[in-house]
Amino acid sequence: MRFRRIGAVIAAVGAATLVLSGCSAPTAESGLDEGTSVDVAWNQPFFSYNGLTSFGNATANNNITYMTNDWFNYYDNTPELKQNESYGSYELVSEDPLTVKYTLADDVKWSDGTAVDASDLLLSWAANSRALDTPDFDSNDFVDPDTGEFTDAFPDDVVYFDSGAQADSGLGLVHDVPEISDDNRSMTMVYSAPYVDWELALYAPLPAHVVAKNALGLDDNEEAKTALVTAIQDNDTASLAKISSFWNSGFNFTSLPDDPELYVGTGPYTISAFVADQYITMKANPEYTGENKPSIEEVTVRFITDPLASVQALENGDVDVISPQSTSDLVTALDALDKVTVLKGAEGTYEHIDLQFDQGKSGVFNDPLVREAFMKVVPRQEILDKLIKPIVGDDATLRGSQMIVPGAEGYDDSIAGNSSADYAEVDVEGAKALIAQSGATNLDVTLLYASTNPRRVNEFALIQASAALAGFNVLDGGSAEWGGILGTPGAYDASLFGWQSTSLGVSSAGPNFETGGINNHNFFSNAEADAVIKKLNVEFDPATQIELQQEIDKILWENFYGVTIFQFPGVTAFNDSVTGIDPSILAPTIFWNIWDWKLA
Amino acid sequence: MASFVFRRLIAAVIVLLAATFLMYMLVALSGDPLKELRESSAPNKLELMASLSQRLNLDVPPFFRYFLWLGGVGQCFVGACDFGVNVQGLPVVVLLQQAMGSTLQLVTGAQIIAIIVGLIVGITTALRQYSGYDYTITFASFLFFSLPIFWVAVLLKQYIAIGFNNWLADPLIGIPVMIGMSIVSGLLWMSLLGGAARRRWITLGVATASTLALLAYFEMSGWFTTPSVGIVGVSVTAIAAALGVTAVSVGLKDKNALRGALATAALGIALYYPMTYFVFRSMSLPLFFALALGAVVAGGAIGYFLGGRDRWQSARTSAIVAVIIGAVIAIDGHLLYWNDYINSSRVNGRPVATIGSVTPNLGGNFWIQGIDTFTHLLLPTIAIILISFASLTRYTRASMLEVMNQDYIRTARSKGLTQRTVVVRHALRNALIPIATVIALDIGALIGGAVITESVFGWSGMGRLFQNGIDHVDPNPVMAFFVVTGLLAVIFNLLADLLYASLDPRIRVS
Repeated sequence: MRFRRIGAVIAAVGAATLVLSGCSAPTAESGLDEGTSVDVAWNQPFFSYNGLTSFGNATANNNITYMTNDWFNYYDNTPELKQNESYGSYELVSEDPLTVKYTLADDVKWSDGTAVDASDLLLSWAANSRALDTPDFDSNDFVDPDTGEFTDAFPDDVVYFDSGAQADSGLGLVHDVPEISDDNRSMTMVYSAPYVDWELALYAPLPAHVVAKNALGLDDNEEAKTALVTAIQDNDTASLAKISSFWNSGFNFTSLPDDPELYVGTGPYTISAFVADQYITMKANPEYTGENKPSIEEVTVRFITDPLASVQALENGDVDVISPQSTSDLVTALDALDKVTVLKGAEGTYEHIDLQFDQGKSGVFNDPLVREAFMKVVPRQEILDKLIKPIVGDDATLRGSQMIVPGAEGYDDSIAGNSSADYAEVDVEGAKALIAQSGATNLDVTLLYASTNPRRVNEFALIQASAALAGFNVLDGGSAEWGGILGTPGAYDASLFGWQSTSLGVSSAGPNFETGGINNHNFFSNAEADAVIKKLNVEFDPATQIELQQEIDKILWENFYGVTIFQFPGVTAFNDSVTGIDPSILAPTIFWNIWDWKLA
Repeated sequence: MASFVFRRLIAAVIVLLAATFLMYMLVALSGDPLKELRESSAPNKLELMASLSQRLNLDVPPFFRYFLWLGGVGQCFVGACDFGVNVQGLPVVVLLQQAMGSTLQLVTGAQIIAIIVGLIVGITTALRQYSGYDYTITFASFLFFSLPIFWVAVLLKQYIAIGFNNWLADPLIGIPVMIGMSIVSGLLWMSLLGGAARRRWITLGVATASTLALLAYFEMSGWFTTPSVGIVGVSVTAIAAALGVTAVSVGLKDKNALRGALATAALGIALYYPMTYFVFRSMSLPLFFALALGAVVAGGAIGYFLGGRDRWQSARTSAIVAVIIGAVIAIDGHLLYWNDYINSSRVNGRPVATIGSVTPNLGGNFWIQGIDTFTHLLLPTIAIILISFASLTRYTRASMLEVMNQDYIRTARSKGLTQRTVVVRHALRNALIPIATVIALDIGALIGGAVITESVFGWSGMGRLFQNGIDHVDPNPVMAFFVVTGLLAVIFNLLADLLYASLDPRIRVS
């Protein structure tokens, strides 16, 4: 009896269970955000919306600010400087004195809807020229030597923009407050000395109204702009001190700030989410009226430090685009992936060997014949074949110009005109003959390079073996502290390192190659070159600039300055969900045409 | 006791001061924070160097700079910590908070699972010493112990993330794999349960057949595309939990405890529909914790009132059963949203992530967020468990074996006590004493020690803070890392000592 009752209960429960298990519980609204975005991996987290200060100036920041801020011009991937007429125009009003007029287009707006006007440009000038900084102010004067902290005497009325501008170059040459037009749409700057890279001198501004509102405690946008313009025009130190202090540090954030005004921008995208050390997301800017309207609604940059981790993240679909530091292992891993496009190209940095014209350790290169002989036995092609081709494939070519970035206008003519082709292949016999002619007996060459960089260690080994054939005794000058040794008299005979090209500006030739230039580490001094550089520094015509650069290039090679070897290899890979990626050799590399990217 | 703690704290402060001083000197002398700037070709590099020197007080000799730093850190006692700034000028306190949050999230779950699994496996291998199971675990734990984590991480990503996600697009196991998995499972159970030849064969057969049946059911019902536990699953696990926990905790002979556990199971099963239909729809984190606490209290109460003489033992048993059932129902709550999650445009059918701690801009309710956290924690957690697991099982096994060979165990057996009583009450408790120390120290070390795991899985916790600091010769983040890990090491050492004293009455702290 009892057994039957239990059986009945079990049967009933079982039947009920079977019925109920057929239907699952109703679910609530999932709350998912069903947007689609392109996820890009980058190796360093974003940390400052002001990429113009000494500590905000990093690629990780500048990539983002490039996408969130438009400007009068930008580099395409040729590379060539393109004007962005939808933002505004600029013109050279006069060459002497150098006068430049910037005019904003009518409907340019910040992403909060506030119009961009001349007050923004004026703030950019004040910050990046440092013309209004308290003169001769040295913050170190107010540091207590015992504690290292600022003393009580530290003035709170000091104007100090941390942009690192210098009074003798670039925007620093614009000493007087630029003039603003009555309609507040244009600004005219007068340089105190000619500066040929004037097109690159002014940078995209931070929002003047936000800076002034926060620095001066104002609430109204227009009022804030007026206050800022007045402070700059009247050189009101008290206000400028607060403005400079906010400009220096107000835009540093490592996660999305509470105040959305701190990340307003003028560009195709605007920041919408930022999670510390994980990712930063940008959405298409609804206020954007420019010509570079983006096609993808949302771009997320995820921070992935480990290169191999980024490859697996690409394979797993966690990210869609990666541009990791390239090694041959990495390229092998990438090539093995399905449905992934791998673009192999060049980056802005190039490897080169400079020979010490003076103050060398053994003095062996004081003789031009020995310099030429050494250049003949540097195995450029072998270095390229063994160290670079495994990464970027057979398209890798030698860099043949000391002056012009490969691909830029004038590069091909420059290498045709200089003697770089003479050093493409190793010529041991030629080198031996030159050495015999010079009568040099001590052929010790101490080569300085970064011993912590495996590729340079390999390059050193190849150079040492090749140069030995001609009788050179290449000594290992590798050091982890090579940067500090660079330029030290008597420390080495030749140096192997990289220069980074950040723009096509021509004014960098002076510091590098002029007698006594600050980046002239090998004591190169040539009257002819100095004369051409002097001409270049005041030449405003782009075509003539290129001719002069080619002339300098020729002089450098003919005087056996040293050899350029290769452009650093760069690898970009993306899956089939996105198209339109075409990296540039100059920063911001993959991001330069973000508006051309499309979802497939 | 108080004086012991006090003396230990004083000693700890002195140790910390000496250690931080030494560390500060080492970091300060390890390189030149200005190196990157020295190599730069920026025209304003002198100014940049000056401003960095000033931010980091580089003009003060390291010996004195340490005291400047100590002064800043000392302000923690008045609630105004100043760990200085890093080379980028960001305050280290902020970085430290972010880093600690993400490391704790990463490490807590992994450590708890590692402890539970490590203890269980350690004990069972000790009880089945020299069995196939024991040899297999010994082999596996030494293997895991010797594998480099970065390599394990790459393998995990390749197979458990990329491979699994690919498989999930068309989730079919296939008959050979099914049979293989079933046989492995059968062998494992056979070896684990042991016994005479006949019993072993029965175990092998039953385990193999039931695994095969389960896999076949999964395969045929399309479980992998629409996974759920359901009322059947919950009922089965609830009853199994009630029987299993009672058997280990008090023994099935204790009818009162068994009745309590089964009543708890019945209540859990009865609550399945009300929960999934009504409560789960408006779930939030506080409610979730409240429900978890409610489960423990309700289970405990049922056990207590049905417990007969040993009320608290019974209450404990039922509380554990309640937690297990609650967890199973919660898993089912998550699985209700699994399809929404996996098909969302952000996840795109590939749930297991190789990198990061969240899917960017996913949105989603409590359950979706829970699934997302799980899919991101999965790989790093497995990686950390594999490392901790090896040492924990070995320690537990050794400690357990040592105790099992003691005279008092033989005495207990000769008294006629059951195997369960001997193992759980007499052996396990004593075996846990040395393991408590190991675990305490392990936790302290783990919070600072996940450097490589964090790096390969894109988590930016304490390890990343430390690594970045070392890379950039940036003393303040390194010191912040060191203060936290040093402090934890000291505190957990002290805790281990106190724990030891409370577990082992022969030891007295004075």
